[in-house]
Amino acid sequence: MKDLSLDVSPGQMYAIIGPNGAGKSTLLKSILGLIHPQHGEIVLSCDQKKPVIGYVPQSRVIDDDMPICARDFISLGQVSSFFPWPSRREKRILHEMMIFTDTDRLAKKPVGKLSGGERQRVFLAQALVRHPDLLLLDESTANLDPDAQTRMMELVKKAVHEWGVTVLFICHDFQMVRAYADHILLMTRGYYKTGDVQSILDDQAMLKNVFQSSFDEGVTHHEGSASSGLSVSASSR
Amino acid sequence: MFQYDFMQHAFIAGTLIAIMCGVIGVFIIARSLSFVAHTISHIGFAGAAFAAYAGIDPLVGLLAFTLAGSVGVGQMGVRMFRRDASISVILSLALGLGILFLSLGNIQGNYSRTLLFGSVVGIDLQDIWQIVAITLFVLIALCAGYRWLKFDSFDQVGAQAAGLPIRWISIGFLLLMAVATSVTIQIVGALLVFSLMTVPAAAARLYTQSIFGMILLSSLIAVLSVWFGLVSGYYTNAPVSFFIVAFDAVSYFLGIIYHRLMERRRAVA
Repeated sequence: MKDLSLDVSPGQMYAIIGPNGAGKSTLLKSILGLIHPQHGEIVLSCDQKKPVIGYVPQSRVIDDDMPICARDFISLGQVSSFFPWPSRREKRILHEMMIFTDTDRLAKKPVGKLSGGERQRVFLAQALVRHPDLLLLDESTANLDPDAQTRMMELVKKAVHEWGVTVLFICHDFQMVRAYADHILLMTRGYYKTGDVQSILDDQAMLKNVFQSSFDEGVTHHEGSASSGLSVSASSR
Repeated sequence: MFQYDFMQHAFIAGTLIAIMCGVIGVFIIARSLSFVAHTISHIGFAGAAFAAYAGIDPLVGLLAFTLAGSVGVGQMGVRMFRRDASISVILSLALGLGILFLSLGNIQGNYSRTLLFGSVVGIDLQDIWQIVAITLFVLIALCAGYRWLKFDSFDQVGAQAAGLPIRWISIGFLLLMAVATSVTIQIVGALLVFSLMTVPAAAARLYTQSIFGMILLSSLIAVLSVWFGLVSGYYTNAPVSFFIVAFDAVSYFLGIIYHRLMERRRAVA
């Protein structure tokens, strides 16, 4: 990743696509400060204030030895107050967010015992309970069945409409990108391009070039590796 | 039993320490720090032995060694410390140092036994005030940092992504653990601190999935175990620590049975 600059507008959804190893997850983790750049810096500027960022990764390690219920897991995100107990307002927001993400009926269930789709909705609720300005989804729907994927993305879209959240989501499914993204950031090693969905996804020659070259590299250097496999499926779409 | 001052003192001190251990224990278990707690208690043993050798207040030696040990663990990185063999190296070194100081100071066997296994009969009024102050300090600090600590303990990735200063939270918690360990060692001894700090919390998570519920239940189990230990010890003359640990262990094993029954019920439903 070098000299990458991206302007995002409130209430818009940006899909980040690109072959494996292009730095998509690295970009999100750098924005979050989970990893630090080897050289240079990440500058995140927002018009009014320091942006609140929500993050939903592909999966999270849930400690089965410490099984906390979904309600408590979601409320972990409420860290703006120093009082140990939640205020009436916080309780109301938590309740509303659980209804919004349809996790209210899972409230007392241990997070570790939930299905993949339910768990991702709980993680989404935890991210949303902080009222983020920016929501980062790192292949959050990758391990879900098609129905659960759609349900999750519909919730994200609803959050965008209701609260004007800006969303950056990494996605390998171009149909999903067409359905939900307003803009695309295409990343490949040492190169990136931004544009609207139509202009990038309709440029088949460029996409083939980006994903095919990644595939070729995969075959040359890491034959049979997962990275080459995923590139094939992406380029075949 | 309560006509004796030493039993009154033991009940007050034991109850306060149990509440503190019950609360802090939930976070120790959630952060997978059981063996770090074990190591810090051994570092405390070395500290108390050093205090005896140097002729200073045992609590000063305990605090100096456990706080320095916690900072060391924090600097090395808790994650590395948790997994690596370094835990056994430091634990052994601490025990070795403890024995060295006891030997250099020509300390009697009775005192060594008190350090390792604790003593509830020797608590005077001044100790009680010390324990009240330290327990209040630990509980207030835990309350003040409750939300950050809770987030970081139960969902570290989420806490880091939310921009919480997780390194400082980790070091702050280790320091609190050191303070709590130092005061607890004086009652239950270096070898059994570990059990009072971790077993009630480990048992509590088997009965409830609510974090606050775990804290309440863990404290309750710890308090009941201390009371049970004191009463049983008084009537049988057997070591109090044994009864405390036995009560905690029974709560834990009953918890496993309860947890399995609930799992089976859920599976059927």
